[in-house]
Amino acid sequence: MAFDPKYIRDFSIVAHIDHGKSTLADQLLLQSGAITQREFREQLLDDMDLERERGITIKARAVAINYTLDGQVYELNLIDTPGHVDFHYEVSRSLAACEGAILLVDATQGVQAQTVANAFLAVGNDLTIVPVLNKIDMQAARPEEIKEEIMHTLGIDPAEILAVSAKTGQGVPDVFRTIIDRVPPPSGNPSGPLRALIFDSKFDDYQGVITYVRVVDGALKVGQKIRLMAGGTDHEVTGLGQFRPREIACDELGVGQVGYVIANLKQLSDVRIGDTITQVPGAAEIPLEGYHEPVQVVFCGLFPASHNQFDDLRTALQKLALNDSSFSFEPETSDALGFGFRCGFLGMLHMEIVQQRLERESNLALVQTAPNVTYEIVTRKGETLHISNPTRIPDPGDIEEFREPIAKVNFILPADCIGAIMQLCEDRRGVFIKTEYLSPTRAILTYELPLAEMIYDLYDKLKSATRGYGTMDYELIGYRAGDLCRLDIVVAGQKVDALSVVVHRAHADRRGRKLVRKLKGEIDRHQFEVAIQAAIGSRVIARETISALRKNVTAKCYGGDITRKRKLLEKQKEGKKRMKQVGNVEISQDAFLSVLDDTDD
Amino acid sequence: MLIALRTDLPSWLWPRAAYIHVPFCAHKCGYCDFASVAGFDHLADRYLSALEREMGMTLGQPAVVDTIFVGGGTPTRLDPDQLERLMAKIAHWFPLTKGGEWTVEANPGTLDVAKVELLVQAGVNRVSLGAQSFRPALLAALERNHAPEEVERAVELVRGRFPRWSLDLIFGIPGSTLADCEADVAAALALGPSHLSCYGLVYEKGTNLWKQWQAGQVVPVDEETERAMYETVIDRLALSGLSMYEISNYARPGHESRHNLVYWANDAYFGVGLGAASYVDGVRSVNTRDLAAYLRRIEAGEPATGPTERLDAEARARETAMLMLRRTVLGIDRNDYELRTGYSLDGLLGPALARFVDQGLLEDDGQRLRFSREGRFLADRVLCELV
Ligand SMILES: Nc1nc2c(ncn2[C@@H]2O[C@H](COP(=O)(O)OP(=O)(O)OP(=O)(O)O)[C@@H](O)[C@H]2O)c(=O)[nH]1
Ligand code: SF4
Ligand SMILES: [Mg+2]
Repeated sequence: MAFDPKYIRDFSIVAHIDHGKSTLADQLLLQSGAITQREFREQLLDDMDLERERGITIKARAVAINYTLDGQVYELNLIDTPGHVDFHYEVSRSLAACEGAILLVDATQGVQAQTVANAFLAVGNDLTIVPVLNKIDMQAARPEEIKEEIMHTLGIDPAEILAVSAKTGQGVPDVFRTIIDRVPPPSGNPSGPLRALIFDSKFDDYQGVITYVRVVDGALKVGQKIRLMAGGTDHEVTGLGQFRPREIACDELGVGQVGYVIANLKQLSDVRIGDTITQVPGAAEIPLEGYHEPVQVVFCGLFPASHNQFDDLRTALQKLALNDSSFSFEPETSDALGFGFRCGFLGMLHMEIVQQRLERESNLALVQTAPNVTYEIVTRKGETLHISNPTRIPDPGDIEEFREPIAKVNFILPADCIGAIMQLCEDRRGVFIKTEYLSPTRAILTYELPLAEMIYDLYDKLKSATRGYGTMDYELIGYRAGDLCRLDIVVAGQKVDALSVVVHRAHADRRGRKLVRKLKGEIDRHQFEVAIQAAIGSRVIARETISALRKNVTAKCYGGDITRKRKLLEKQKEGKKRMKQVGNVEISQDAFLSVLDDTDD
Repeated sequence: MLIALRTDLPSWLWPRAAYIHVPFCAHKCGYCDFASVAGFDHLADRYLSALEREMGMTLGQPAVVDTIFVGGGTPTRLDPDQLERLMAKIAHWFPLTKGGEWTVEANPGTLDVAKVELLVQAGVNRVSLGAQSFRPALLAALERNHAPEEVERAVELVRGRFPRWSLDLIFGIPGSTLADCEADVAAALALGPSHLSCYGLVYEKGTNLWKQWQAGQVVPVDEETERAMYETVIDRLALSGLSMYEISNYARPGHESRHNLVYWANDAYFGVGLGAASYVDGVRSVNTRDLAAYLRRIEAGEPATGPTERLDAEARARETAMLMLRRTVLGIDRNDYELRTGYSLDGLLGPALARFVDQGLLEDDGQRLRFSREGRFLADRVLCELV
């Protein structure tokens, strides 16, 4: 028997990064009895190695807990979401599986860029928002001030705002009560044809693809025949369960329940995130709304370090795509790097995480090219091309108009930092839009900036210019023509396609000089001299030469040295693992990435 | 740790070679990262007792060997009684086969007629003399505390008393020029050695010289000059009949150091004494380099070994290739390699080796692979892809 939907509440926890979502989830697990004090560990739901190493949530995680209020047992399905801007898509997918959202605000930090972005997202999804101030145990907490801020920016009545410490558990019982009182139960039809939303999935070597679903109408039962509506493939449910937080099998998932489905799905391509599961016979006619495709903003080439691993990389990408539907990939061939994939990501952190997950989860060594954005090019022939690979950019003579993506960027920062950030934006070809004050000391600054000027490192610059207090959020608003050109790099007489970058013409000479100097430092010396040139079209604008390696030999190796010498050589070899042979020059991973680095040296 | 004698095993598993370490020195040279100590001569007798005890503990019964190498430190820093005692114990625990090679390292200024006689009596038939340079300024840069004339005096003592003797030279000393290097080689040759070890200076981490370099007080010789020095050494010695047989070693035919060839064949060896390494039955172990700890542990009847390492078959085969290639004449013989490692050279390393042949760093005559002339200068580029 499925749980009576009347007593189910489905909600997400959303907030700016580090405001304590996962810590609050810990408390909800603990205080509901889902875990014992002995099982407790901090940010329990962050169970991916990368999440624990970095101390941030990367994947949204759903958990079912039971909570008894006034003698009635409720089932609460909560989703802990990531706060980093790059994982915004995880948040939007989670919210589509809920009726409510806890909007958490750090009582020492106040409203930040992702607080605003996530609050708007929740409102846009018609969710009930439960505003909660967190970290009130801290000395630096300023609950009254921050409530004001919340009211000012989000129009939320301060009287509605709860105050908790996710660390100590103070105030958490009120959170349970408010969720149950204010968030509506799921409204699906228990007797209608089955419709369950696939919001996530993962690949298991033994069981195939496991989908994570929320039942909207009807019920899912073990043994039932189901259909994945997008691809129209039919399967039989062999296992169902909930995350409590460990996977606990059950026989049935009813309206509003969240859990996993095992259905012998061996074909990776059968499963699409956002698809609807229905029943056969008696299939539903209309699938659930599903998700908007996310817009990837940064692209890079990923190539296997050893060229015979192309197929392994393809499989690794397909598997990972089941667990992260927000990156894109398509085969790419580079003269320099051979066969690989051009992949798109939601930001730099996302790119880094995907690369690391690919390497770890599939045991691959990858070479990555410098990231870039998508350009829109109108050719002389009148075609409009979207190009996310600099090598594909036509010759200057064939380009009518070279357009770049523009982002509207909101900075939330201490008022005394406005000047510094404005200067930063001006240097990066930004267009000032407006300044608004949240309070006398904090402001929202809005700029329009070329995406390529902000996406790679503006966040870091902002953090250092505001002593860590500034935050930012952005949205793409379209393309704008710019005076852009492609800068090519020629190594030992051979153009290395993977090193091409798009630059603003006014900065081309400076960038070109800096680039060849960087590469000189990154490319190892060879048996021969290696010339590095930067060129626009056929015009060489900078040149450096790497002198030949003349002597590289360990003088001594006797009995006592053998182990040490071998280890030193192994280290050298390790460094070569990510080298790519271009012509007769070996180019390291660092060299490919160094073209991005625009810092002065 | 008592090990059963396993003379039935092949030479890469069961040692036919023994290394004995004596750590005492008159003073610590600036570039030295050996297990050597200055100012601890008062511990020499205790140390010798510990050595005896260690030999007894590890061997249980005497082990016949083809080569013995007594190194340091400065073995000849011991006084004659001590030296005699050491030689007797070594001869007891490591009986040398007929025609075997027994080398003792000596530093100029530590040898006299009495010590030479006693070494000869003990059966030592090879002496390796640490000359390093004949230029006073360069000796000073290395913080060596002997004068060039002392090398000549030591050679006079050694010549004629031992069938073979060798000199150590270092090139690339900070402040040296190509002319210095040529002069050093000429001075060494003038003494008529049948063997020379000639190293490019290494700034070993933690040494005085390394610290000076880190602090910017010492500027290493530039790479182009160092390469020219290395070429000079190779060519000048070859002209005088001392041909290169290993990256840093040169000898008249038949005068190669048999003991050191054991290392480069990846054969097994015993090692006793402070910081000594041994390689027995596929296990590498190294004794502690801390003199007090060494004494304490041996005196307590415990082994003084630190970390040990046993490589799997493939790693051992790769290591063997890395070592064998250091032999510039022998290189790697395909049959010998397969016999010793169980791996076909081409099966394991074929593509990498072929690439280096292509790049002109290796030469392949179908049977043997060895460094080309150019390859010797860039050896690590090749070796690092073999391990
Ligand atoms: N003192 C105090 N620290 C807290 C509290 N809640 C969270 N923290 C700390 O704040 C840091 C961030 O907490 P997380 O729970 O990982 O934050 P998050 O919102 O899940 O972060 P992301 O998932 O990366 O966006 C951790 O060091 C927590 O220990 C609280 O109530 N009081
Ligand atoms: S004589 Fe040899 S062992 Fe002794 S300190 Fe000098 S270099 Fe080191
Ligand atoms: Mg978290």
